[in-house]
Amino acid sequence: MSDDPTQAADAADEVFVVVDAQTCIGVGQCEMLEPNVFALDEDTDIAVIIGEGSLARSRAVTVIDRCPSGAISIAPPPSPTPSS
Amino acid sequence: MERTVGATDLADPQVYAAGIPHGVFAELRTRPGLTWNAIGGDISDGFWSVSRHRDVVEVSRDPETFSSAVGHIQIYDIDADALDARASMIDMDPPVHTRLRRLVSAAFTPRHVQSYAEAVRNRVRDSLDAFEAAGAGDWVAAVAKPIPIGVICDILGVPEQDHDYMIELSDHLVAGTSSEPLDPGAYGNTTDLRLLPFNSPAAHALNEYAHSLGEQRRRQPQDDLITKLIEAEVDGERLSDEEFANFFRLMIFAGNETTRSSMSHLALHLARFPEEFDRVRRDRSLIDSAVEEVIRYSSPILYFRRTATRDVVLAGTPVAKGERVVMWYAAANFDSDVFADAERFDVGRPTPPANVAFGGGGAHFCLGASLARLELSALLDEIVSRDWSVDVGEAEYVDSNFVNGIEHLTVSLR
Repeated sequence: MSDDPTQAADAADEVFVVVDAQTCIGVGQCEMLEPNVFALDEDTDIAVIIGEGSLARSRAVTVIDRCPSGAISIAPPPSPTPSS
Repeated sequence: MERTVGATDLADPQVYAAGIPHGVFAELRTRPGLTWNAIGGDISDGFWSVSRHRDVVEVSRDPETFSSAVGHIQIYDIDADALDARASMIDMDPPVHTRLRRLVSAAFTPRHVQSYAEAVRNRVRDSLDAFEAAGAGDWVAAVAKPIPIGVICDILGVPEQDHDYMIELSDHLVAGTSSEPLDPGAYGNTTDLRLLPFNSPAAHALNEYAHSLGEQRRRQPQDDLITKLIEAEVDGERLSDEEFANFFRLMIFAGNETTRSSMSHLALHLARFPEEFDRVRRDRSLIDSAVEEVIRYSSPILYFRRTATRDVVLAGTPVAKGERVVMWYAAANFDSDVFADAERFDVGRPTPPANVAFGGGGAHFCLGASLARLELSALLDEIVSRDWSVDVGEAEYVDSNFVNGIEHLTVSLR
């Protein structure tokens, strides 16, 4: 089984990503790789999610790997609402 | 507790007299766990050597356990007052580190660094034009030294006429990590060397210079990094004179010695692996991966050290609170568990996995990484465009256990 995340069966699935503002040090690799998802805030130099904040899982894994501070992660899927 | 003690003292600069000691590092990597290094044969004065890629990454990303603040980030220990006097953000842990880093990080993002592209390209062209006209020379003096210092000085706002002085001073800083003795009174220094970074009088000279330039910018602000530092506020307070000077010195040293080393090594690689450079010339989409390979193969910073803040097990070896942990980036960069056929210079080597020449990640990841990459790709692109073939003399390495630098390298164009 390949370890390459871009080849995984769920590589094309859309996932949501989040940035931990405390950990982010404003290196900017995320913004460079995925400018439709990440931008460094002009005033705080911290990465913020712009737009929907979703992208293909394989691309999310790549940008997470490239973030040197480890501030980016995939958001947990929303918990199902119980039926009343 | 039994500990594996290494046969080679990695703190001895002589070990690096001919560049990276691949044989010694290969042996370290294959030994299970960590290896204890007895400095000068004294087993009670030692440190743990971390040589594998995954272990370097683990240490790098856990600043709470492996601190840059509680002990020095160089192998030798220094007193608390000495540490205090010289500390810049590289000697700090989050959250203090984070606040300082954010003062300057915007100037070094990949996006912002692109704004320097033309200025960098011009400096590279000027150096290479002159070198071509001469036909041969000391590559380090003619190309590898002046380009990076010129670039970082431009960013900082240091005037052109002072660039040579900055080169002179930062050369002395590196000399402070070697086995050569220093003259404590150089540059009119009267401060105890203990309290000076790298135990060098050149640090005193840099402090003086920083203060005088800072004063000028305070009176007449300009659009440069020095002005930004002078005006910056952390928690509502301006940087102290000492903090400002330490910051300036960090930029001057970090922004030039390292890139100088990779640019010097690039010429060596060109001579040793011309067919790899041909690949780049024929296919410029290889520039980025080629630059990464130059950086991996050069590993300009041999190590940085951390101190354990608690008892911890690393790579299966118990590390006691207070013990020194040294990350050998130059060893991890040739870890065959991560880099297939690691000693092969391959301009098409896939990334990820990232090399650890810029550090293993985490808060201290090299601030200048994007800038270094910009400078190296400009140099590489110009060299392959000119279709150079070169002969080189023997590289004379900087006498240091910390930097993998080249003092002199004769290069002749064919």
